[in-house]
Amino acid sequence: MSLRSSVLIVASPRPRVGKTLLARLLVDFQIYNDREVAAFDLNARGGALAQFLPRHAALADIVDVKGQMALFDRLVADDGVAKVVDVGHEAFESFVTVASKIGFAEEARRRRLAPAVLFMTTPDFTSVESYKALAARMPQVTPVPVHNAILGNAQYRDKYPPGGPGSALVQLPILAPALRKFSDRPPFSFAQAPTTAALDIPLEKHLELTHWVRRVFLELREMELRLLLADLQSSLEIRS
Amino acid sequence: MAKPAVFLIGADKGGVGKTTVARTLLDYFGAHQTAVRAFDTESPRGTLKRFHPDVTEVVDVTQVADQMKIFDTLGSADAKVTVIDVRAGLLSSTLRALTDIGFIDSAKKGQITFAVFHILGPSIASLQEIAETADIVGDASYFLVKNFINNATFFEWDPATYNSYFRKIRGAMELGVPKLNELACEQVEVASVPFVNFIGNKNGAGDAANYSFVLRGYVRHWLGNVWNEYDRVKLMDLVAAKQENTARQAAG
Repeated sequence: MSLRSSVLIVASPRPRVGKTLLARLLVDFQIYNDREVAAFDLNARGGALAQFLPRHAALADIVDVKGQMALFDRLVADDGVAKVVDVGHEAFESFVTVASKIGFAEEARRRRLAPAVLFMTTPDFTSVESYKALAARMPQVTPVPVHNAILGNAQYRDKYPPGGPGSALVQLPILAPALRKFSDRPPFSFAQAPTTAALDIPLEKHLELTHWVRRVFLELREMELRLLLADLQSSLEIRS
Repeated sequence: MAKPAVFLIGADKGGVGKTTVARTLLDYFGAHQTAVRAFDTESPRGTLKRFHPDVTEVVDVTQVADQMKIFDTLGSADAKVTVIDVRAGLLSSTLRALTDIGFIDSAKKGQITFAVFHILGPSIASLQEIAETADIVGDASYFLVKNFINNATFFEWDPATYNSYFRKIRGAMELGVPKLNELACEQVEVASVPFVNFIGNKNGAGDAANYSFVLRGYVRHWLGNVWNEYDRVKLMDLVAAKQENTARQAAG
């Protein structure tokens, strides 16, 4: 199994911690690697993801069962398409509740998909407890803590221990404000940044941005390999 | 050897979910590798038969010939567990017929395990049936099944009303069947398969189907809760009860 058949859920019960930025990076990372990807935006005031990724992202809503079917039935489809879900802070609790009730992670594993929750770490009690509870509520999902450096030094890192094989802290380096003014403007694509010089970005900024994207993609590549290795190990253990 | 067990599922009111409960029971016994047969008294249509055609026979429980088909074969049938889904309005009369043919007496003597699942709807009319049935069921295991087809409380907010109905029969046990999501319920109806087949994404023939994963998840969660209730009242212990010795039966 490779990350092609992964379901990556970007989540946190807190707002403004960089979830949508990470979701965009995950989708663009798949695009950069010529993989098929579908993204779902579960933000109450959604649309940010779709603005940047109109061909890949769709709004989702799990308030009613029809919405849940539209999202989760697609997430567990074994169609070779990587899935990325941007779970807004307002939808976090209901997402975990529904996913756990319908056995989302178990079904995903049964269909040989690798579900992982990329959890944005913050020092607040709610986030720490929510991360802890994930292991009990969705035991078949790999929890991956993500530290967004723009939120400050991670003095609270020990509160987010890696959750089992394949899990390790992912670092999201600071994206300088001078670069954000380019990257926060649709239709900017991180997938194209390393290869294409956009006409409206000065060369030195473009180089800086390319360097940042490469660092992030390297982090994501390593995360992908850890998840893949953990999965290989577990399948070897099952066979022996 | 375990003695034959008869589970009578009924209510005098219609639309309270008798067949749904009967279906969960058939699935429950199936999951416990317990051979079971079922009789659907909704003659001639038979809703239960639509979901469990392999083990269900449609009968007219008011006809002697069909009563013989059910009760004369209790000892000889391969399946030691018999589930009877009694059509709406026939619970009291069926129980009276069972008294007349000496079935209730046989249960009293320990020759047969007999359990009544009285399915209650959230209305006073439904609760009033309890008193009418209580006199007839005798020593049977009597389960008052609160089927939460909506968000009813079964008058729990009013202890006087609640106790006047639910505490009427000594030894009666309460069972709660939670509400199943409407969409999931309708999808299983359309599929016309046992709940376990639906959860396992199988059609009636056992081949792979294409039911919504979300709805299957809801049904699995719901059925798990229903089965937890059956476990709580130790239903399998009831089914596994051994025949009492013949001397004691004779003494009775």
